Amino acid sequence: MTQPILETRGLVAGYGKKQAIHGIDLSLTKGETLLVLGHNGAGKTTLMRAIFGLNAPMAGTVHYATRDITGRNPAINVAEGIAFVPQGHGIFPSLTVRDNLELGAFVEPSSERARKHLEDVYDMFPILKDRAGQVAGTFSGGQKQMLAIGMALMHGPSVLILDEPSIGLAPNLVGRVMESIAEIKARFDASIVIVEQNIKYSLPIADRVMVLKTGGVVYAGDPEPLHDHAKLIEFF
Amino acid sequence: MDLFLQLLANGLINGSHYALLGLGFGLIFSTTRIVHFAYGPIVTFAAYTAWLISGSMGLPLIVGIAGAVLVAALLGTGSYLTLYRALERNGAPPLIPLIASLGLTIVLENLVGVLFGTGVRTLDVDSSVHFLGPVFFTSIHVWQVVSFVVIAVALGAFLRRTRYGRAILAMTDDPEMARVIGIDTLKVSIIVFALGSAISAVPAVMVLLKDGASTHMGFAAVFMGFVAVIVGGVGSLRGAIAGGYLVGLVESLGLWQIPTEWQGSISFVVLFLMIMLRPQGLFSMARK
Repeated sequence: MTQPILETRGLVAGYGKKQAIHGIDLSLTKGETLLVLGHNGAGKTTLMRAIFGLNAPMAGTVHYATRDITGRNPAINVAEGIAFVPQGHGIFPSLTVRDNLELGAFVEPSSERARKHLEDVYDMFPILKDRAGQVAGTFSGGQKQMLAIGMALMHGPSVLILDEPSIGLAPNLVGRVMESIAEIKARFDASIVIVEQNIKYSLPIADRVMVLKTGGVVYAGDPEPLHDHAKLIEFF
Repeated sequence: MDLFLQLLANGLINGSHYALLGLGFGLIFSTTRIVHFAYGPIVTFAAYTAWLISGSMGLPLIVGIAGAVLVAALLGTGSYLTLYRALERNGAPPLIPLIASLGLTIVLENLVGVLFGTGVRTLDVDSSVHFLGPVFFTSIHVWQVVSFVVIAVALGAFLRRTRYGRAILAMTDDPEMARVIGIDTLKVSIIVFALGSAISAVPAVMVLLKDGASTHMGFAAVFMGFVAVIVGGVGSLRGAIAGGYLVGLVESLGLWQIPTEWQGSISFVVLFLMIMLRPQGLFSMARK
């Protein structure tokens, strides 16, 4: 069996003393796209923040490339190849698009590689190149999301975690963002965890699915059974 | 007309002083969101250190300034690492560091009295008077303006062109996003406390040269820095500069029509008007 690149065992996390996820096991193998579904309050964001190190886990472990990274400083996680795109456009609104992208490469020690990543991002999202000097806060929701994803790719991550990239976007833009996520896997050789509520658009790009409900896992497996409407209703 | 020009010149000179205080205070506040009132007694410490080195010990003024900058930077960094950092780690709400800062202010002010005595300390330096048409000013006034310009340009270049300068701008914009892209926010906080406090040592030495150092001089310094930041807009260092100059000019030009005994109240009036009419300040960052 292939060794997972990212794995959680019995992960418990929350806010203050209140638990939001109760002992979650998650595994992501190299090159895979794992879709994490669930309603509001299911614990999806808490799970991602705990994996990335923004929220200290209360119990359980997180392993990345076989190393224990439980509760580790996000700065080290980013430097070692994990990227996180938080919910609601992870950008610096008062800086220009170019400044945002360059900051995305903050942990990249090689300026040559940073330039290459910038070219790749511009290639994937040409609008970012066209509007490189524009203040990012003036972008539309879809453009901000492209910029947020572009920033996350600027240090060439091995694992990309996206927290509800479709939230607040018009349906036509959701399709474009999902296409770009599928493209990332091919272009950047990254393994992806994507948290979503938009099943229609996200299910086709998933290799495997995990459904959360009230902080626990109610389904983990292939995406096919979830195309069945009745099955979905059962999980949700 | 001659009086107006003189008041205008005085306003620009005082504005440079306030803008410099605003830059140091604003750099710390905008980046860490900590209302560091202990900035005041650190200014006092810096002024007394310069007096100790250049007045009491008789070493050149440049050595006194360097000592003041070093002591201020160490005290600023020490305040963050020993006090505010512990509160941040415990997830304290914003009011707690504010109260802790007031406590630290009292402790440091008393410490100045214990270490240096409570009397006013002065330093004799060249303070020759110069004339530009009907306007007069002293050498110290020139130093005040020049030191502001040099520090503002150097700080601007540091923020725009260096890796940690850009990290400071990122953290000012959104501290959590700064962590998300891999910026070590602890390191950035230490840098801004050191840098902001070091900057404050320069106006501290200017006060020492102009009026002498006193144990309570820090209150005026932190208050004017705070007013410059609030008037200019939290999060914007350009705003802190504009706020400092606005307060300096209004305070000085106000004397054209207002009796001098009211001068001290003018900065309060500017602060209250700004809070009521434009609470986001002159150059508030456009947040979505």
